[in-house]
Formats: sequence, C-alpha cells, structure tokens
Amino acid sequence: MPSQPPLPPLLTSYLSDQRESSLTLVSSILGATSNWLVLRYLYAALGTSSSSNISIGTDELSNGAKRKVVLVSFLRGWEFWRAEAKRLGLDLARLADKQQFAFVDGLSELFNSSSSASSAPINTGSTVRTTLPLRSQPGAVPGRGPPSAVTPGRPGTESLRQREPGAVKKLHFTGHGIAALDAMEKDVISEINRQKSSMTDGDEMLLILDQPDFLLAATGASMGVGATEMAEWVTGLQQQVHATVLTMAADSPLIHNASTSGNQLSTPIETEHAAFAIGMAHRAWSVMQLRTLETGAARDVSGVLRISRGGGWTAEAEDNLGERELLYYIQRDGGVRVFGRGES
Amino acid sequence: MSFRKRNIGLSAGVDRAAVPNASTQPAPLESSPGIRPSPDDGRPTTSTGAPSLDNLLAGHAGLPMGKLLLIEENGTTDFAGALLRYYAAEGVVQEQKIHVVGVPEQWGRSLPGLIGTAESLDEKRSDKRKDEKMKIAWRYERLGEFGAGVAGSRDVPNPTPAGEQETTAKPAFCHAFDLTKRLTHPGITNMSFIPLVPSRESPFTSILKQLQTSISSSASNTMHRIVIPSLLNPTIYPPNACQPEYVLQFFHSLKALLSANTARVTAMITLPLSLFPRSSGLVRWIELLSDGVIELCPFPHSADATATSGAATSVEEPPQGMLKTHRLPVLHERGGGSDQNVGQDWAFILSRRRFEIKPFSLPPADGDTEAQDASASSGMPKKSDLEF
Amino acid sequence: MAPVNLSHRRTHNLLLISKLLSLRDTASPLTLLQDSLEQPATPLIKEYIRRAKLSKVHVTFIAFETLKKPDGVDAFVSTRRKSPADIAKEVAAAYQPAATGPSRHPGFHLPSFLGSFIASTGPSAGKADASLVVTWHQDVPALPQQNHYSPSPLPVLTYLATSIITLHSFSHILAQKAARDRSLAAPVFGLEEEQDGVLLGRLDKLAGTGAAEGIVLELEHRRKSGRGVLEWYLLPPASQYSPQHVKEVVTLLDDNVLYNPPMEPDTNPDDDEPKSTFELGLTDRQRRDREGVVLPYFDAQHGDGPGEGGRILYDMGEEDDFDEEEDEI
Repeated sequence: MPSQPPLPPLLTSYLSDQRESSLTLVSSILGATSNWLVLRYLYAALGTSSSSNISIGTDELSNGAKRKVVLVSFLRGWEFWRAEAKRLGLDLARLADKQQFAFVDGLSELFNSSSSASSAPINTGSTVRTTLPLRSQPGAVPGRGPPSAVTPGRPGTESLRQREPGAVKKLHFTGHGIAALDAMEKDVISEINRQKSSMTDGDEMLLILDQPDFLLAATGASMGVGATEMAEWVTGLQQQVHATVLTMAADSPLIHNASTSGNQLSTPIETEHAAFAIGMAHRAWSVMQLRTLETGAARDVSGVLRISRGGGWTAEAEDNLGERELLYYIQRDGGVRVFGRGES
Repeated sequence: MSFRKRNIGLSAGVDRAAVPNASTQPAPLESSPGIRPSPDDGRPTTSTGAPSLDNLLAGHAGLPMGKLLLIEENGTTDFAGALLRYYAAEGVVQEQKIHVVGVPEQWGRSLPGLIGTAESLDEKRSDKRKDEKMKIAWRYERLGEFGAGVAGSRDVPNPTPAGEQETTAKPAFCHAFDLTKRLTHPGITNMSFIPLVPSRESPFTSILKQLQTSISSSASNTMHRIVIPSLLNPTIYPPNACQPEYVLQFFHSLKALLSANTARVTAMITLPLSLFPRSSGLVRWIELLSDGVIELCPFPHSADATATSGAATSVEEPPQGMLKTHRLPVLHERGGGSDQNVGQDWAFILSRRRFEIKPFSLPPADGDTEAQDASASSGMPKKSDLEF
Repeated sequence: MAPVNLSHRRTHNLLLISKLLSLRDTASPLTLLQDSLEQPATPLIKEYIRRAKLSKVHVTFIAFETLKKPDGVDAFVSTRRKSPADIAKEVAAAYQPAATGPSRHPGFHLPSFLGSFIASTGPSAGKADASLVVTWHQDVPALPQQNHYSPSPLPVLTYLATSIITLHSFSHILAQKAARDRSLAAPVFGLEEEQDGVLLGRLDKLAGTGAAEGIVLELEHRRKSGRGVLEWYLLPPASQYSPQHVKEVVTLLDDNVLYNPPMEPDTNPDDDEPKSTFELGLTDRQRRDREGVVLPYFDAQHGDGPGEGGRILYDMGEEDDFDEEEDEI
C-alpha cells in the first residue's frame, strides 16, 4: 500500500484552520478512537516547522507566525504520543525542548501521587537498551520502512532526552471538587504560560485536551465534580489559548441512556457524561464525530468521520466549514487515508 | 455469517509474510523467557497461554507488554476463568511474577497442568490429521492448517523460519495445558495473592499499593502478570467497589502502572457481564480504559448446540459460544478497524487441552436437514399450498 | 382553511413575531428559546441583536458558555465562577441606558441558581423596561436536583416565560412532513437516532430536501389577556438579507412553497375523468340506450309472494339433459 501524506488532503482545511477562541469537539467510541486525529492536529500545527528541523536550523514558518501546542492527555502517556508522532515524522521531544510543544501528563499520577514511576526509566531503559544501535537516524521518518525498522511503543529508546526534569508536567487530583479542579487548572495554565513566554506576536497557541471526560467519570458527584464544574474548567483553560481541541467519548451508553426517551433509569455517570458532552457540542465551533461502520467491519475502512457544525458555529463571511461525512482507513504503517463514500 | 470455504486459513497469509521480517531482526528480549518481538512491529509480546487467543490479537501473535486485556463473559459460565488460568499458568511456566487479586490461594492450586509446548501439542494434532491433510489440494495446504487462521499456531507465531534446527533448543513462547491436571511447577509458589482489605475508602487502594511496591522493588528483568478474576463480583468485592470513583480510578491507576513499566507488565481482567451489562456507562468506561476488550457469549445449551454449530464434520467439537472482539491492543489505540480479525464472527471451543477460537460459520446445508425442514415448513409455503 | 382566515392570521401573527423579535413595547418580558444540537439558537440570537441594533436598543449579553463578545453587543458579562448576586449586580451596572438584555443561559445550572437569577433580574428588568431572552438546551439531560420536591428548572422557566420559541431545522421539518404525507414514521436526527458515536445528525444537504435553509420557529405566546397564540414561522438564513434590512423577513411556515406546495392549477371539479386518448365518455343517446337495456333475470327480482323472489327462470336448452332425481327447477 502506498504511504500516505501525514495530513489527508480532504482534512487539511479542517485541521489547520482553528478560529480564535473556538472549540473543536472530537468524539470517539470504543471501536473508533480519536488518537490518529489528535496526531493530525498536532502535525497540522507543528508539522512544517518540524520537517525543517531535519535540515537543521530554521524553525520559522514562511509567514513568520509560529504555532504552539499544549497537549493534556488523561488516558495515554507521553511514550504513546511520542512514539506515534514519530511515525508521522514529528519529534515531540525536540519540539518540547524548543518550547513549541508541551505535554501535560494526566495519566501517571492523577490519582496516586506516591511516585511509583520513579524506578521506571531505569528499568525500561536497561531492558531495551540493546536496541538503541539498531535504530535508524533520529531524523528519518519511521513507519515507512519495513517492519523491522519500526519500533514504536518501545520504551526508553530516548529515555535520556525525554526524562529531563520538568519536561513532562504531571497532573494530580487531590482534594475535592472545584478546589481540586482549580489546582489542575493552575498546573495546565502554568504550562501554557511557560510556552507563552517565548511567544511573539501572531503566534497561536492550540490546546488539546484528550478525554477530560474521564476526569468527570472517575470523580463524580461524591467528589464534587459534575458536568457544570467540568464545563467551567474547560472554559477557564479556553480563555488562555487561541483555540481548543477536546476529545471525548460518545459511546451510546454514555450519551443515550440519559436521554428522556429511554425508559431505564440512568446512572449519575451517564447523566453527567451526557450533559457534559452535549453541552460541549453546543459550545463547539465544529464537531468531528468518529464511529465505526454501521454495516459491520470492512477490510479497507476503519471508520466514519462526520464533520458537523457545532452549536457555537455562526455563519461568517469567510467561513466555509462544509459539513460532510467521510470514510477513513488506518494502514498498518500508521498512514491514514480519508475518502468519500463510494470513492476509494 | 459466512459460508466461506472453511479449509482455507484466513489470516495465515499476512502473518506468514511478516514472519521472515521478524526473524531477521535479532530479538533483543530473547534473554527474558516468554517474550518475543511482535511480527507486526517488533514490540515485545508475551503469550496469553492460549495460542488461538494470541493469534487473535491484531497480528502481534501475543499480548503486547504493558497492555491490559479485559475479558467479559455473559451468563454464569466460567470460560473467561479458564482463559485467566491459562494466562496465569503460562506466566508460572515462564517464571514470571504473577499477582492475583481478590481470590484465595486455592485459585493458584487449580491452574491447569503443563503437558508440553504448544508446538508439541500441535504436532500430535497434525499427526492425527495426516489422512485429512492428504485430501487438501497442495496449493491450499501451504496456506495453513485447517482453520489455522487463529486456531493453529504451528507456523504463525514462531519467529524462526521453519526448517531451522534450533526450534527445539529455543525456549517456547507458549505452552499447552491440561485443564484436568494440576500444575506442578517450582514457580507456582512464587505467585502472590493480594487480598481485598475491608476499608471504608476505596477497596482498591491497598491492592494498587501492593502492586506498585512489588513491581518497583523487583529486579528490572522480572516480568509481571496481573490477574484479576471476576472483577466487581459481589462475592469477592464489597458493594461500594462498583462506585465509578473507585473502580475507574483503579483502572486508570492500573493503566498508569502499566505504562510506567511498559516493558515488564501485562494484565488480564475478567468481568461478569450479567451483573454489569455492557449497556451501562460504567462498563463502557471500564472498556474504554482497557487496551483490549473481548466478550464471550456462551451458547445457552452447549450440549444440543449442534444445530447452530460451526462443525463441518463430526470430527470437530461444536463451538461452545461466540466470541466478539470489541477492541484490540495497539490496533485500536492507533485508530482501529483495519485488522482482518476485526468484525469477523468467532466461535470458541474449550476442550480439555486447549481454548480454541475459530471463525464462526453456519453449518453447510446438507449437514442440517432438520433445520432445513423446519424452515421449509414454517417459512416457505409448500407447493401444494400455492396451487389451487 | 378559508383563504380569508389565513390572510387574517398572516397579518396578525407576522405583526406579533415582528414585535417579539424586535422587543418592541416589552411585548414579552421573558422569552425562552428552546434549542437543540440539531438547531442551535445562535442564528436567532444574532437576529435579535441585529434588530436591536437597528432600533438602537442596548444589548447586554450574559455569557454562560460564550467566550467571545458577539458583534453588536453593548455589554458583555462573563459569568464564570461568579455568584448569582454578582452577576445581577454586573448586569444592573451594564444597563444604564435602560434597555434590553438578551442573555444566554446554559441548560445545566442548578435550580437554586436559576431561581435566584430570575428572581433578582426579574424585578429590575421590569423597572428598567427590559426584556430577557433566555436560551435552554433541550437535549442536555436534566441533572438530579438537590431538592427533590421543588419543580425542575425547565418547568419553572416555561411557567414564567411569556413567550416560548422552540427552534427546529427547516430541512428536518420538511423531511418529517414528507414522511408524514406518505404515512411513514417521521425520521429522527442526531441524538435521537441513538446511534453509537453520533451526536449531531445535521448535514448540509439532507436527501430530498433541496436547498431548504432557515430555521423554523414554533412560537407560543401568552398574552396578558390569557389567550395564547400558537404559530409556526420560518426565519431565512442571515445570508439572504442585508443586515440593514428593516422589513420583516420572517414568514409563516404555511406560506412557504417548500413546506406547503401550491395546489396543482388543474382543479376544475367538472373535469374529473381520467385523461386518455380513448374516448371513455358516453353521448346522451348512448346513455339513454344503456338505461333502456333490460338485464337478465330482471323479472325475478320482482317476486310477488313469499318465496317467489329470487326464483330463477330457466328455459331448458336442447343440449340440457334433464334428470328428474337431481334437478329441480
């Protein structure tokens, strides 16, 4: 199969134009996850400067404006994002060094602050260190070659660089309700401000929140967090940045069980999730909905992407957010093909 | 439901192609027993103890390290428990450290007995089938053994090219176990059982703490397996365990633990769906937090299940249930959907010696005259009814 | 419906919506906009603001989920992490030039907050001769209340509101009407599809609806006299008229060509025979002859005595073989 461009042509306009103070909602389900799309957002914002990295030196975009990204991930660790971005040709560790990218870790120590991961880098490094000489040059694009050259997900390959102190900010949920959320908000904002310190005029900051709905699910009313508090939390972060991308689960049990038409009693987790997700869709400029094919799995289709205008969309002269439904296919090498129904 | 030709291996083709590549790469983790690089992308994997389950996992021919597999089961049967025992027994044999949560030590004594490597069992099996094999046209034969799509593991998972002499010298990746025997292995005493401590707070806090300390204090080349049978089962867990803030935080922390020790830990968890249906938001979150989700739907009356069986010949046992893959490790994390095993209807058969997963298909028409008659009399009007 | 009646309704109700949307004479102190993901209220809010600008009305925007100040708004009050009392104070400070305040209200606020907000704003709004426009997201599920016995927020709002506008997407209304006309089940969209992974069903072009743009407003207005008015309107998309347009752009839904296609021009009641190249009609003479034909067994129907009616008169033909035992005439 031919290798695909990092940004599918049909999606380029959706991925790269983020309106000021807009919210983009990416919804996913169990069988159709959103990680690939988040990676494409990363690439759209950082990609061009990263590829010029390889030819050493110039990291300015042609128009002079730089984009910066802060990625807050609640379900996946730094290793995953780094390895998967590498397959696209994005060196996140290097971008983090250059203060163009920051990762905020909402996985490692969110609920247990006892530092358990302290021994991890040493261990993982030692078991896999033998592989280091085998790797191709760091600048080369992995994932395009034969499988033997691909070693994504293997930990510790760049343990020295990535474990620099302060490179990865870890979020903690301690305490109760709004106070706990405020503390986390402060952590994220401090990371945003650290990036902002190196910003010049015209630079844009993109914030990607990866599944903050988990936070809502795992805390709930008994810990003083509800849909309203979460929505406020998102608003607080939104105010700090140019644009926000938010991913969220939209599985049927989480959305539809709470609807009034359903006969069964819904549990608080379902009601709160539905209220949060639908409330966010009402605020969103655009909503990218991922789902699997209704007709069952197919060999050359991974899922369906429906792009819709959110409740916050307003018709403005220059805007042309076309609503459409596309199919996508994720190849074994990580490349993504996006095409319309009936095309191939 | 498909009426495909059943003697053609379904996924053997691609996996075979990947094997030479994998074998050219000097496997770095050879040193730790039971770990081998995935033929798909070279990441370290370990066996689940059931070769056909290994082969189901999105081309990695094993459970990738650092991943969490959730096995859900409908009804009151315990097929998932059998899978879990295979997984634990495989870990014992590979001298990995096993952590079992919430069950007493008797559980460890009921692990199935070792009867050799998975390859050796398959050798025997294929001997039995010699006559049958002769009938297969030669050009189909190299596509794999009967039903080798996932059921057979003879060729597929072995990274050594066939014909190489060291096959026997190499440590086996997967072993065969007999459910009627009991495992006797020196490593069995090395299993640790983590009891549930009654507490007013989350019952999972102490479990997590013990897992963390024992994993971080162990030698860096020790492999760990976390086994959690029948999660949230009210006979094991206190009623407040199913509060989302407890169980979801536990899953999240477990995920953090796995990702912090990516190369050393795997986990397998079973969940009774009768108590916690898939249509509930809580279970959906548990699934979303897992790397792989497999659902077992046993047929209600296995004894007389022949009417819907996938058995083409009387030689084969009828399947005992359906198996659905909702999410597969690594594949779905990347976006999902493109694996050839996804969307397939699977049936499973648990026999004394193996847990076999194979494509589910309706029986061929001639073997099922009863059902045909039934459908003819009820559905289609007879010719005499139509004439007047 | 008689045409006279319709035209009367048209003049009357168009005047009413014009008054309501332009917030003239405080026709409706509290207007409730019920929207959904399928048809958000954003375009209608913009229309409110546009009209307010034209008539030089002061607009205060109380934002619960909007970050940026929309165009044409005079005062923008952000409410994040503010108590109801603070918000009310800020709003009061904002409307110095005694005017109106369209506000957006998110669908998920606690009833206590909601109540105090309405209570605190209500009187001051009356004093200041202001109208309040509140948005309610219908599809956000209601969260459990602290006090189980007090009415939930939506009934409170609908009870207090003087007019309630429910928004629908025009293309969906058309699709549903098309289904209804064929006696099919009406299609559902978006969340109501209950499909895994689908939040929004709205797509630019829905099959069969053509270029149906616009918003359908379902208005329920409660007059002081106690009489209610129910009407369906259509608001065309903002791109179809200039922002300075003064004349009424809203039309009755029943007047829309797509919704209510005009009858076929060919409605002559005399001409009720099917069209064909064959002459199927009868001339007068043919019709007279037809009436003159005596049908067989006509006599048998005039039975004189009991048992006589219905007797079959039959003349034996030569080919008939009469059998005494079997046949009886």
